[in-house]
Amino acid sequence: MSNIQSLTYFLPELILTSSAMVIILTDVFFRGRNRNRLIWLLSLVALGIAAIFLLLQTTPPDAIFYGALAVDPYSRFFKWIFLLATVVIYVVSPYSRELDNNPRHEYYLFMLLVVFGLFLMASALDLIIVYLSIEIVSIGSFVLAGFLKQERLSNESSLKYVIYGALSSGVMLYGLSLLFGIAGSTNVFDIQAALSGVPDKAHLTLAVALLLVLTGFGYKIAMVPFHFWTPDVYQGAPTTITAYLSVAPKAAGFALALRILGITFGSSPDMNLGEWLPVEGLPFGTLIAIFSAATMTVGNIIAIQQSSVKRLLAYSSIAHAGYMLMAAAILNAQAVSAIMFYLAVYLFMNLGAFLVAIFIHNRYGYDEIEEWKGLGFQAPAVAVAMGIFLFSLTGLPPTAGFVGKVYLFSVLIEAQQFWWLAVLGVLNSVVSLYYYMRILKAMFLDSEPTGERISGHPALSGTILLLMIPVLLFGVYWSPLMNLVRSSLEFFSPGM
Amino acid sequence: MALILQRLVAPARRGALKHSTYECGEEVEGSAWTQFNIRFYVIALVFLIFDVEVVILFPWAVVFKDIGLVAFVEMLIFLCVLTIGLVAVWRRRDLDWVKMVLPYARGRYARLTRDPD
Repeated sequence: MSNIQSLTYFLPELILTSSAMVIILTDVFFRGRNRNRLIWLLSLVALGIAAIFLLLQTTPPDAIFYGALAVDPYSRFFKWIFLLATVVIYVVSPYSRELDNNPRHEYYLFMLLVVFGLFLMASALDLIIVYLSIEIVSIGSFVLAGFLKQERLSNESSLKYVIYGALSSGVMLYGLSLLFGIAGSTNVFDIQAALSGVPDKAHLTLAVALLLVLTGFGYKIAMVPFHFWTPDVYQGAPTTITAYLSVAPKAAGFALALRILGITFGSSPDMNLGEWLPVEGLPFGTLIAIFSAATMTVGNIIAIQQSSVKRLLAYSSIAHAGYMLMAAAILNAQAVSAIMFYLAVYLFMNLGAFLVAIFIHNRYGYDEIEEWKGLGFQAPAVAVAMGIFLFSLTGLPPTAGFVGKVYLFSVLIEAQQFWWLAVLGVLNSVVSLYYYMRILKAMFLDSEPTGERISGHPALSGTILLLMIPVLLFGVYWSPLMNLVRSSLEFFSPGM
Repeated sequence: MALILQRLVAPARRGALKHSTYECGEEVEGSAWTQFNIRFYVIALVFLIFDVEVVILFPWAVVFKDIGLVAFVEMLIFLCVLTIGLVAVWRRRDLDWVKMVLPYARGRYARLTRDPD
């Protein structure tokens, strides 16, 4: 589809970029006292309008801008996840005390730009767009991670993020250039067509290209061994941003990786077919399975000895990437839907856990596990909500995390491959129970009731309690979400 | 590990010319290991705006006659976006070289204030 025609399909993204420009101008010309509030409101309105246009977008799968971007239910599902995560963070950001000494208007602006990048990531069909969208998201995140200019940890996290980001995107570019060298095109469908006819000798090159491309994707989803930035960045960044980084870019990384790897290294260009097989001779499943095993084991085992809750949740988010990669080793329709379901559930439970961390941080200014002692008596509702988020992260019934994990494991069991990986996944869930319960123990058992009550801002506590509802609801009645995921499982493919 | 490996494997042929600073083929003047004022960083970023603009304008000018009005409008939008960047930088006083309030300042320097943020 040509450029002008494409614009009508590109409205949500256009709204985001044009409102970002409006916000820049407002930022420099409006000097009133309520500037932060005004820009906050403008960004929320922009997100709302983008959401409305996204809702109205019900066309069949298509590719816009000469096949560079896909507009299909799959990308729309992820765009909803990004919008939801962003709105939650916007709602709580004005009440995070960490940000008080910094001009929040730039923070809102950068978040809008990051959302734009995430939208591109979910719909990229071209290697150039893949690289560009990852960079848009990364550069915005670098700035956001280092937003607390006076704090050394925040500066450190930003610097580490930049260095790791530069390195991994460089390595990924090398992988992409190998792919371009083999196929002579940057369009994923052309590459797929070229790869199916590669003589056997080129398979080593192909495997190397896959490994190098995985470096870039693995960096975004915090896959071992490309995870080293995660704990430091998550600890140093403002907690609101940590919550955001642990959910939205990770979901985008999965959206991008599943689509690009699925098409490029698949034996058929059509991802809609239920069965997916890698290009003949390529050890795709084994490679992902090894990464998955390493990711969840390292994440869980290092999480045990963390004393900072933000670091603990960082390692737990690494472990969750490992669980989701477990299904990616198979990559049939069932696996993709299981990952999408898990990401949706993960959005609620992980955001919830981090919002409680903001609640604590507002009160004490630290995020050590010590500060959580007695929260069960001081703020019972929030503590119970945190307990439910933690149960869900562990994967205990009757929470949504349990259902999500069941779907992930059932992919391996039904495909009758990688039994060892499923066993390892179950063992890892047991390990994770230990460190999640440490937080729970600190909240309810480690101190006597003192009669002291702490209360956060109602908007913060209210959001925490609102996030608890889907975690519980999807734990007992998950078919609406699963139906949504199944109906979103429709990819653009050139044969349509 | 990688550093040691390349130390062992890579051939070492050192020379005065090889160690000199690369300056786009120009005659080298002094060392690159000097301290720069951090303000050059902002100037470099602003330069980038116009640099990218020119890089994109060249191929556009080549095919302008073939595409016509569409190309004109597209480039107009692109230039507007870049101009917003320039306006933002200007208003935020990042183009001012002297930023502090100087107690003894006169003339146009007397009106300078600190960064509004």
